[in-house]
Amino acid sequence: MLDLIIFYFAAVIAVGAAVMMIMQRNPVASVLYLVVSLVAQAILYVQLNALFVGALLIIIYTGAILVLFLFVIMLLNLRGEHFGGKQSRMGRASKIAITVILFAEMVAIFKQVAIPERIGTQAAAVAEDFGSVEMVASHLFKEYLYPFELTSILLLVAIVGAVVLAKRDKTEKMEDA
Amino acid sequence: MPDYNLRLIIPEIFLFLWALFIIAFDLGTKRKNPKLIGYLTMGGIAATAVLLYLYHGGISFNNMFKSDPLALFFKVIFLGSAFMAVGSSFDIIAQKIKNHRGEFFGLVLFSTVGMMFLASAGELISLYIGLELTTIPLFILAAYYKDDRISVEAGLKYLVIGAFSSAILLYGLSLLYGLSGTTDIVMMKINLALLYLNTNGIGWALLMAIVMVLAGIGFKLALVPFHMWAPDVYQGAPTPITALLSVGSKAAGVVAFMRIFIDGLYGFADAVMFPLDWGNIVAVLAAAAMILGNISALRQKNIKRMLAYSSIAQIGYVMVGMVAVSELGVGSVGYYMFIYLFANMGAFAVATIFNDNTGSDSIASYAGLSKSSPMISAFMAIFLLSLAGIPPLAGFAAKFFVFAAGIQAGYTWLVILALLTAVVSLYYYANVIKMMYFAPDNPTIKLNTPLSANIVLIIGVAGLIIFGVYPEPILNFALDTARVFGF
Amino acid sequence: MITTGFIIASAIKVIVVVVAVLTGCAYATWLERKLVGHIQHRIGPNLAGPFGLLQPIADAIKLAFKEDIVPERAERVTYALAPIVAFIPAMLSFAVIPFGDTITIMGQQIDMVISDLNIGILYIFAITSLGVYGIVLAGWSSGSKYSLLGGIRSSAQMISYEIAYGLSIIGVLIIAQTLSMKELVAQQANFFDWFIFRQPLGFVLFVICAIAETNRSPFDMPEAESELVGGYHTEYSSLRFAMFFIGEYANMITVAAVVTTIFLGGWQGPLLPPVVWFCIKVFLFMAFYVWIRGTLPRVRYDQLMNLGWKVLFPLALLNVVVTALIYRL
Repeated sequence: MLDLIIFYFAAVIAVGAAVMMIMQRNPVASVLYLVVSLVAQAILYVQLNALFVGALLIIIYTGAILVLFLFVIMLLNLRGEHFGGKQSRMGRASKIAITVILFAEMVAIFKQVAIPERIGTQAAAVAEDFGSVEMVASHLFKEYLYPFELTSILLLVAIVGAVVLAKRDKTEKMEDA
Repeated sequence: MPDYNLRLIIPEIFLFLWALFIIAFDLGTKRKNPKLIGYLTMGGIAATAVLLYLYHGGISFNNMFKSDPLALFFKVIFLGSAFMAVGSSFDIIAQKIKNHRGEFFGLVLFSTVGMMFLASAGELISLYIGLELTTIPLFILAAYYKDDRISVEAGLKYLVIGAFSSAILLYGLSLLYGLSGTTDIVMMKINLALLYLNTNGIGWALLMAIVMVLAGIGFKLALVPFHMWAPDVYQGAPTPITALLSVGSKAAGVVAFMRIFIDGLYGFADAVMFPLDWGNIVAVLAAAAMILGNISALRQKNIKRMLAYSSIAQIGYVMVGMVAVSELGVGSVGYYMFIYLFANMGAFAVATIFNDNTGSDSIASYAGLSKSSPMISAFMAIFLLSLAGIPPLAGFAAKFFVFAAGIQAGYTWLVILALLTAVVSLYYYANVIKMMYFAPDNPTIKLNTPLSANIVLIIGVAGLIIFGVYPEPILNFALDTARVFGF
Repeated sequence: MITTGFIIASAIKVIVVVVAVLTGCAYATWLERKLVGHIQHRIGPNLAGPFGLLQPIADAIKLAFKEDIVPERAERVTYALAPIVAFIPAMLSFAVIPFGDTITIMGQQIDMVISDLNIGILYIFAITSLGVYGIVLAGWSSGSKYSLLGGIRSSAQMISYEIAYGLSIIGVLIIAQTLSMKELVAQQANFFDWFIFRQPLGFVLFVICAIAETNRSPFDMPEAESELVGGYHTEYSSLRFAMFFIGEYANMITVAAVVTTIFLGGWQGPLLPPVVWFCIKVFLFMAFYVWIRGTLPRVRYDQLMNLGWKVLFPLALLNVVVTALIYRL
């Protein structure tokens, strides 16, 4: 019962904050709503026994990535008025239409897939140490070693690319000086 | 314990290390020699091809890495497109890119490594990461002219679209994982079938997943209606990168499509997917691509934009073979991509050379080119005629096999449409040739081509003529790839 | 599972810890002023009560009666929320810190820790990483240049030191093979098993990064008085300012408690009861904090960045690699 209350509390906040995030014109407020949403999602992970994932979500996303977002937004001093004028009526209508269609589709899916049964069977199969650091680590470094290492290549490539794009060219530098 | 057969990924590891070496080499040498780096890069690609020949066949990492004929075949295409892209970019490097030359080649190689990992992916996560590894270097390469507004716009547009399509793709993949409980593509198929037998109506969920994945990969393939980004990005990016985008990354999208849709979602799809199976969806998209691509190409004045729309249309033809889902279907798609490599890389190489010498991309400025540079004009004519599908060039054989597969599978309407649009396409390809040969003389410049670009052109023309007259070896190889899917 | 006894015990523990930390914060300010005073050959506060011991209370009363000012150009909601956001994480971190051994009262086993999470260390990292939002938001919402600069500096500093901060602890984790704070303390029963001896480099890195993370001198860039007036809290007054103040000191106490637990053997010690040992160690570390403040000049911003990325980060990585090679090969 308590679990259910916490779940609905966190779920409503997570979704609500996510919706608020995209409704904001002020980018800082958007980031803040995203923070709230992520913290609520972390609570959901904790409820699923995935303590480790929940903690990582907060440490990495809210603790590092979103701080970086805030840093950039503040450094550029972006305010709501920097993001163009009003949207055209067509644009807005089409966005709303797509959202409604996707939402309806999702509801249809969840009605079709017999969810309670599936959750019942899945929950029984969960191991004792599910979500523990050891379990996550053994999945990551044994079973999924290959994609894990691929990711490291991907990150290296992204770093090289970021340096190439961001580094000031030598000729420019001389002109500046 | 999983089986870690590292022998099979030696080519990929080598190419990755070689990319790092190129970057370090450029950083470490005092006197910058762009040609040397370029030839080193080409040498690295050739060496990878040799390694690929030595180490292939088998699976590794618990089915996550498959070194099967399909992967091998497409890896050859990727290496070929990277080789030709690097070969045709020497003048651009010398003239327009003053900084980070090593990184330019390095990123091309990184992207190629990504394609190779993607082609071998037997599992959704590796497949997705391979796809990202393919596209992320291309975002940067597209914006490599940092002072050119159009190039930066191209990079940014590609980045935004790429991120957006990745999100859609991931959502689709997560639905597939949620339904099947596994990321292994073959297991996924089995689990989905079991789930279908035991649970009522997963049809809608599966349909949603399929649409999402299709949209995600559709963006990478520039399949209509997910093609909007292609013309702008193709126009703004450095031309060799455009060529790589249109051949290498497109072939990567094709192989990803095959892995997910033919390996993972075909077979029981007809039974489950009332009343739609993905074949019909894709057939409609292919038809749209052929019509829209060809008709839009008619109006283009810029050769890169024209080739962009043409490549949108070409992917429509590829999809005709794809929807057949048969031995001939898979084989003809592979063959088509292989021939497309020569024709499109060649056409873009000519466009690169022309732009390096004249600074222009407009079709009108090709007027009278045959007088000043007869060889290059002849080459360009061959590439374009092959793209149009004129016998005896290889493009004809490619189109023939694809259409045959389509008819065999009962998509007669689609093939008729494809034939009609192919006639339309002849018009805009021929328009360029008309400009080069029959337009009144402009004061034209003699085109100087570096040795490496000549190599690229000769490879392109030789490929088109040889495989046009004698398609058997490649066709057999391509048909062999279909065994992967049990046809 | 959840018995009444458990709930009562937990409630008591929470109240005791909160009260202790708040009192600790108040007297940390006294300790700081007194110690810095002596370092600088002054006496420090000495008028309110014996040895100036009532000074914190006087300060609190003074702050409470100040006018609460909201600048005209401030973003009101965020401006009001920021001090709370800064304050709460500082208090929450204490939930997983063990301050004593298990004791038995009325037949009930009671752990001297509010909650022994099996990912205790990660919990602390997660919670403390949220603290920066208070500072950043305060800087952004005040509508003042000084505040904004303070906020930007703070976020950049956080990002730069977070990585080395996290990595410096990995060495300990490799040896201990647990993330639970209680387990960590249990593994440091012998004096020479303290992780400060087994992970000297890790300890030094952790302390440096922790000082940077708590924005203390010599890394107090976000509130550098001589350049930025008061940094992120320039515009704040009265109780809102007090909340930042308490938050900062609570963060210091948290770090002292974490260092004690991870590196200095936690509550372990001879003769005296565990809780006393814990308090002594925390006190000594707080004194160390003040000592550093009293002796080292503030670093420049670019020095701060260089130190974080080019020195601490590689060293932390090296520490991880060496530790892994020695202990797990």
